[in-house]
Amino acid sequence: MKNIYEVRNANKIKSSIVVVGFVIFVALTVYVLSQALGYYWGYDVGGLGFVGFALIISGLISYGSYYFSDQIVLTISGAKKANRKEYFDFYTVAENLAIGSGLPKPKLYVIDDSAPNAFATGRDPKHAVICATTGLLDKLTRTELEGVIAHELSHVRNYDTRLQSLVAVMVGLIALLGDWLLRMRMFGDRDRDRENMGAIILVLGIIFAILSPIIAQLIQLAISRRREFMADAGSVSLTKQPGGLISALEKISKDTEPLEVANKATAHLYIASPFKGKRGQGSVGWFSNLFNTHPPVEERIKALYDMG
Amino acid sequence: MIIYVIIVLVVLVVWVISIYNFFVSSQTRIKASIQEIGNQLKRQSDLIPNLESSVKGYLSHEKGILQMLSDARKLISIGKDASAKIAELLPKLQVVVESNPELKGNTVVTNLMDELRDTADKVMYARRLLIDLTADFNVKRVTFPSSIIAGMFKFEEMKGLETSDTGVHLSVSELETKSPKINL
Repeated sequence: MKNIYEVRNANKIKSSIVVVGFVIFVALTVYVLSQALGYYWGYDVGGLGFVGFALIISGLISYGSYYFSDQIVLTISGAKKANRKEYFDFYTVAENLAIGSGLPKPKLYVIDDSAPNAFATGRDPKHAVICATTGLLDKLTRTELEGVIAHELSHVRNYDTRLQSLVAVMVGLIALLGDWLLRMRMFGDRDRDRENMGAIILVLGIIFAILSPIIAQLIQLAISRRREFMADAGSVSLTKQPGGLISALEKISKDTEPLEVANKATAHLYIASPFKGKRGQGSVGWFSNLFNTHPPVEERIKALYDMG
Repeated sequence: MIIYVIIVLVVLVVWVISIYNFFVSSQTRIKASIQEIGNQLKRQSDLIPNLESSVKGYLSHEKGILQMLSDARKLISIGKDASAKIAELLPKLQVVVESNPELKGNTVVTNLMDELRDTADKVMYARRLLIDLTADFNVKRVTFPSSIIAGMFKFEEMKGLETSDTGVHLSVSELETKSPKINL
């Protein structure tokens, strides 16, 4: 098993790969599209004209994703800040575990949803955010909550959060766009005037469809089952109470309610898959299966029993 | 040929520096974690007596009212006129009901218990950090190859949380194997 420093470095390198890959992808797509559309409309776009523009845009998006991915993720999840008075256990448990791990206290957010789940985000431990649903805070005891928060803090300490948040924003953007375009084509009408537009969207959709295995691969890169097992191990080494995390995972997996605010771009951030057997149709369903890479809870619980 | 020797030397020097830096930064973090324990202990000793007295104050307030109520009830039950008692009680009761629509002794005590557990946890986790940091330091100090650097710069073993090597806390007695019963 890799030690924590190797894991950290690997995550930092992978984060850079995601950013570079994103920039190259956007530039390439714009180049192909501008050439194709130029040919279609019958004028010459002239070499790399649009690509410079695309590079600037994708550069800005990368910069924004690096610094604001946590805010973006929190906004699309509809999270609000947690205070000590209202969420005493959540607040104090996070505070205590931060003391125990020697990390700065993360910012705490709450999603108002009865499905129990939690995630961590932020580009480094100084800008870490831990977010829990009200369902999680209501249903778990303090000891169980400690297990879950310690799991999230381990993600923060391993720099999993940087990679995962970047992936959520950048790759998620591309994946959602491709998905949306594919669906648009399917429901588009056959109006004569829209024929041209439909052709463009079809080209875009095909490009994204061809690239989606690569996108899925990127997501795999970010999640990998080992990441969750390592965070579970980190949680136990911090709390020294595997029982807390075990019963928390059991409670979370027994709950059948899907988390409404999670989408496939943010799903991999959560401690347990937020979809809970929700199956989409067509390309959407196929996508969410690709994105469903959480290791089975039973396997994680077994690994935790072996530690205890 | 000479270039390879230089590369190897540079790599070696970088490695020695990184290990040396690990040891000295760990020492600093260990010192800081000891201060953190002190910090949490101070918080505890500041907070707990204050919490205790405010909860006591609240409970005695509520207790007085309840005492009066039961006194009045007793008088009625033995057939005496309790109107004097009730007249005395009513204004006080009114104040309480106005400021607290319900008696909150229960929540006040629960909050106290939560704060007590949280404070104990904070001190425990502060100690945990010290234990973890010293364990990391000491493992690096004795394992090869970082032990060479530790030997070169004479890094001493860190003590961590000082616990006696002998005594009853190292053995489990027959009584301690049973779950404790709580009597309230």
